[in-house]
Amino acid sequence: MISCINLTKNYRIGHSQKRVLKGIDLTIAPGDRVGLLGCNGAGKSTLIKLIGGVELPTSGKVLRDMTCSWPLGFHGGFQGSLTGYDNARFIARIYGRDYPTLRRFVEDFTELGRQLRMPVKTYSSGMRARLAFALSLAIEFDCYLIDEVILVGDKNFQEKCHFELFERRKDRAIVLASHSMDSIRTFCNRTVVLNDGYLSEYNDVDEGLSVYKAL
Amino acid sequence: MQKAFQAWRVQRNVIVALMIRELTTRFGRENIGFLWVMAEPLLFATLVGVLYTYMIGEEEHGVSVIAFIASGYIPLTVMRNSFGRSVNIFAVNGALLYHRQVRVLDFVIVRFMIEMIGAMMAYLVIGTILALVGVFPVPAHIGYLLAGWFLYMLFVFSVCLVIAPASESSEALEKLIPVTVYVAIPLSGTFNMASWLTPAAREVVLYSPLVNGMEMMRYGLFGDAVRPYFNVFIPLGASAVVAIVGLAMCRRIRRTLVVE
Repeated sequence: MISCINLTKNYRIGHSQKRVLKGIDLTIAPGDRVGLLGCNGAGKSTLIKLIGGVELPTSGKVLRDMTCSWPLGFHGGFQGSLTGYDNARFIARIYGRDYPTLRRFVEDFTELGRQLRMPVKTYSSGMRARLAFALSLAIEFDCYLIDEVILVGDKNFQEKCHFELFERRKDRAIVLASHSMDSIRTFCNRTVVLNDGYLSEYNDVDEGLSVYKAL
Repeated sequence: MQKAFQAWRVQRNVIVALMIRELTTRFGRENIGFLWVMAEPLLFATLVGVLYTYMIGEEEHGVSVIAFIASGYIPLTVMRNSFGRSVNIFAVNGALLYHRQVRVLDFVIVRFMIEMIGAMMAYLVIGTILALVGVFPVPAHIGYLLAGWFLYMLFVFSVCLVIAPASESSEALEKLIPVTVYVAIPLSGTFNMASWLTPAAREVVLYSPLVNGMEMMRYGLFGDAVRPYFNVFIPLGASAVVAIVGLAMCRRIRRTLVVE
């Protein structure tokens, strides 16, 4: 279970403060597949960063009773100047995992071959997505935080993600920030819509989607 | 208790991983790799020592000039480099904060440790080489040498804890640090003993935590050939105060840190 209790988040812009989130309550139970909808700049990434503990809320609390991945997106989590292997080794170390096992999984899943010996900053966004997914799947979290843009990979990658995340790990929770109706319909069983700093929850996916469309 | 032990193990893993990462990004894997970390103190201490030997002779105040310079300059490089490396340390390492077990404090600890360990290796190498040539003494009281080193480093680390968060909110700091370090050299005990000064000047420099540490190190190294002045409570007290301020600042800045 992950609970967000009355989260607010301010960002400083020059000398003034902008309140991006104005009091968010959200509970993610094991196995929940939450689609997070909202216009550009509504605070989807901010909320995901707070849930993942990358940034800290201005007020309010995030309680985590289950393990939670870092937010999977094109940014963050990697050191661009290091190779794919070095990043994998770093992540194996800080999460206390066995490196050879993790390495084998990453090699199989990413199919990047010799590219893994190149610095991550030379990777295309699709390649980064493969690496980020492979590493977070190898670590086995209870809850995955996913920025939808990262699901854009080629067909082969999408099928793999689908299989690993939505079939093999059916019992895991997911928070998927997305603009795409299709992926929300395919992957989620409930939706939350962020608008003007507030969150509204819909247990019916289509209801959430129609609210989002009307924004 | 078990929880504390577990947390400690996680932090240890993180610090080791960050250290290896820092060493590979900074020095790469080619040629001598992370041994570069001791190249600078090694070269400087030797060259300045040789230069001074020609300028003022082999011995001054009864101790070998080259040994005196080396023993003062090596701790100084740790101070200068770790201050410099603490600037903007949270911003440049931001991507790693995606992993929740990585704490901002770890970044400061890791960069400081690398500087300090590199300098200790340099000290050992320089000391051994110079001792073989006969211009470096075998430490008279190794305990004082280590204790002095520890106190000096403790203060340097405490100041890093302040510089790191302060540089996040003030850009002027980055420009001011190199100047401040140069101005602070007389207050670091690098190039002189307190006993060589006039009593009035001595009283002033002995308020510096760094001078107290340095005096202990020099006594540990040269023994009764020098007359040290020190009070361990000055570096201990100053470090405690500065570290508490720094830790509070780190905690505060973490709350508002924007991670890309």
